[in-house]
Amino acid sequence: MEIGAEAIVQNQTPKRAAVTTGADRPGRRPSSGRFRRLNVLVGVLSIPLFIILWELTSRSGIVNMVLFPPPTVVAAAVLEWMRSGQFFWDVAASLYRVTAGFLLGSALGVLLGILTGQFPVVSSLLSPLFQILRPIPPIAFVPIVILWFGLSEAGKLFLVVWGVFFTVWLSTHIGVQKVDRGLIRAALMLGTPRRQMLQEIILLGALPYIVVGLRTAVSISFYTLVAAELAGTFAGVVYRIEIAQQNLQTGQVMGGLAALGLISFIADRLFAALAERTVWWR
Amino acid sequence: MSGYRSTTKLALASSQPSVKTVSEQPAIQVSNLSIVFDTNRGQMIAVDRVSFDVAAGEFVCIVGPSGCGKSTVLNTIAGLEVPFEGEILVEGSPVGHPRPDIGMVFQQPHLFPWKSVRRNIAHGPRMLGKSAKEAGAIADDLIAMIGLKRFADAYPNTLSGGMQQRVAIARALANEPRVLLMDEPFGALDAQTRAVMQDNLLELRDRIKATIVFVTHDIDEAIVLADRVLIMSAGPGRILREIAVNLPRPRSSAILIEPTYLALKRDCLEVIRAEGLRAFNQSDSS
Ligand SMILES: Nc1ncnc2c1ncn2[C@@H]1O[C@H](COP(=O)(O)OP(=O)(O)OP(=O)(O)O)[C@@H](O)[C@H]1O
Ligand SMILES: [Mg+2]
Repeated sequence: MEIGAEAIVQNQTPKRAAVTTGADRPGRRPSSGRFRRLNVLVGVLSIPLFIILWELTSRSGIVNMVLFPPPTVVAAAVLEWMRSGQFFWDVAASLYRVTAGFLLGSALGVLLGILTGQFPVVSSLLSPLFQILRPIPPIAFVPIVILWFGLSEAGKLFLVVWGVFFTVWLSTHIGVQKVDRGLIRAALMLGTPRRQMLQEIILLGALPYIVVGLRTAVSISFYTLVAAELAGTFAGVVYRIEIAQQNLQTGQVMGGLAALGLISFIADRLFAALAERTVWWR
Repeated sequence: MSGYRSTTKLALASSQPSVKTVSEQPAIQVSNLSIVFDTNRGQMIAVDRVSFDVAAGEFVCIVGPSGCGKSTVLNTIAGLEVPFEGEILVEGSPVGHPRPDIGMVFQQPHLFPWKSVRRNIAHGPRMLGKSAKEAGAIADDLIAMIGLKRFADAYPNTLSGGMQQRVAIARALANEPRVLLMDEPFGALDAQTRAVMQDNLLELRDRIKATIVFVTHDIDEAIVLADRVLIMSAGPGRILREIAVNLPRPRSSAILIEPTYLALKRDCLEVIRAEGLRAFNQSDSS
């Protein structure tokens, strides 16, 4: 099978992917109370410390304050952005593109992943094509997308769908192929008809892999959003960053980056919570 | 109460080893079964012209060394291994695909991880078109039978190996198969659990009507359970000898120290030792 592809999915073991939080891994020796408290304290201080250091550096005169504005300036820019009413529309436009592209791309990916995973003929037909297209970074399609779709929303959607599709397709394909043969044999012996075999055994068996693919696709949809909005548009968080850059509003640029980071962080967390509920038997 | 109990009341009168009667059609007829696998080292004869009958209600154990083709024979009877040469009739009709009147318990429990114990057991009846309520009632009966009432809503990964295998047996019984095939179902269990499971199976067997073919490589297990033991030889798999086990029933693992039992075991071991020597000399000279 596709070796590189397998590595992608296996690097993120389905079992753990949904629950990894990084901070306190199980299996580590429980440190003494004093150290644990110290760890918590340092953890809580991490971001405030960083912000204070940033503020001090910016105002110290070592760096150009216009190019490297302190957090207070960034915060002011963000407040202004919100007050102007643009913030809402920018976030709405970006969220719409990400969500629509993610849903469409995932639906196509799951559907075709089941088909290629289940039917060798379909796999022989489509897998070589997908394997050639998959490694091309979606950003590389920006020029042709502009030619095809101009500045329309369809072009933006296309880019995000393109980015999401291959990841979800591949993880579904692998998931379907990795369904325990023993389970299929057991189901056959119990008289499971074809349709139920797909719904009750193969889909659920592949679900942990599909969920990992979908989670990766969440962050991919944000990458491709950047490309899509840089390709030219009239609203959106990344679009706002670009405009601010052209006007040398560095505070606004950084505020935009922070907003983008926060949104994709929330999306990832939400998806992780959802994923844990999806694979309910774990 | 659903159909299950009413049929189990008519439990087979099996307190004595069953006697093959001429008039009765065997539950399983295997004639000249040969199976050849294509491997990267060429063709490999896994099973070579194996023939045997199993009477209705009989409990037959197949023993033999690892790799002699026991699983292959069982899978073929189950309809999971096609194509094959020869003829297999189960309840008079030829097999070629899985059939709901043939139940199978594998060496691994292969429970559906996303289904609770009850839903695992209800799966078969559901697939055969029973309503969720009927299937649930069948499952509840069987759960009581295997003594896992407390775990009816548990998921398989929270059960011990022995409990999982009990659920797998109940799941196979839920379709009321005429023929139950068991492929080393207790192979992965520890000695104590295994003995308990054997006693459980004998009890269950008194309550169901199924004909049972049970694969194992443990001679003790075969003699405790079976009416008849088929000893297979390796490379290619053939049936070497057939030994009737005329020990009284009900049996339990307590018979392991009876003199009649020991005599039977000695017979089996002699056959196996002779075959082992033959195979050894053959491989030495070739
Ligand atoms: N799908 C297959 N393709 C090729 N060879 C196979 C296949 N299945 C089984 N074999 C070979 O057929 C022979 C019999 O295998 P089988 O699994 O039936 O043995 P077994 O008696 O059940 O052994 P064990 O006691 O270890 O379970 C083995 O040599 C095995 O390598
Ligand atoms: Mg085997």
